[in-house]
Amino acid sequence: MITKLINPFRYIAGGYSLMIGIVILFFTALIGFLSNTHFPDIISVKTSSDFPFNYHIFQIFSNWIIVSFILYIISIIASNSKVRIIDIFGTQALARFPYLIVSFIGFSSSLNNLGKNLTRQFIQQGEPVELSVFTIVIAISLIFITLFLTVWLIVLMYNAFKISANLKGYKSILLFIAGLIISIFLSGLISNLLIQA
Amino acid sequence: MNKKLPISCPSCSSELKVQSLRCDSCETTINGFYNLPLLLLLEQKEQDFIIDFIQSSGSLKIMAQKLKLSYPTVRNMLDELIQKIKNLQPKIS
Repeated sequence: MITKLINPFRYIAGGYSLMIGIVILFFTALIGFLSNTHFPDIISVKTSSDFPFNYHIFQIFSNWIIVSFILYIISIIASNSKVRIIDIFGTQALARFPYLIVSFIGFSSSLNNLGKNLTRQFIQQGEPVELSVFTIVIAISLIFITLFLTVWLIVLMYNAFKISANLKGYKSILLFIAGLIISIFLSGLISNLLIQA
Repeated sequence: MNKKLPISCPSCSSELKVQSLRCDSCETTINGFYNLPLLLLLEQKEQDFIIDFIQSSGSLKIMAQKLKLSYPTVRNMLDELIQKIKNLQPKIS
């Protein structure tokens, strides 16, 4: 059961995972739009002001395409196996499932209120917000849940890369970290350009 | 009982050789010193994988369906097996 949760790619890859993955990405964008949760790069999560639905769709899909493309380039350079592009893109799409769950966090106002309160306290901006103990507990719980889901996302992304590219050991870890850093930078850059546009 | 052919020495773990072959029909026995064939140096599950692969006409897609595993998982298993065979070949030649 745990193997299926952290490494479903042993059983699912290629076109099947691509189809499921695209559905996951679409609903992540839709729920993110409804809850005002967005993903400014491949691992960041933010709850902020209203963005149009197109923005959510573009952001979610560009995050996936960027990380998949970077990992595909790394795979064809570093792997001795014949790497299929559909495996990389399909498994990376499916790996983004934890962020479908994360997209619900914006429905709770606790995180926003905690953010506003901290902004008021530390940089004296915005209106003062009263926080109940319940709101603080909910907000901290949501932070930990998001953190846990982010770790799950990265584990899934790594396992997807490892299986699709047939890479092992330190080589796979170092290449994945390099790919992840490049993807975070590029996806963040594209998100910023999108917001400015 | 399905007896397992031992391929390594239980005492020192070195690779075993064939010393004697016997004909059940006429009871002729041949003594000599032969290497084990390459396929017998593989583990049973690896031998089964090769047989399944041949029976699937060399199709990894069919293999993946049979084993209920993803295509890249089966391809990785095949690549590992190819590497193992490459490493074993100098030993038996």
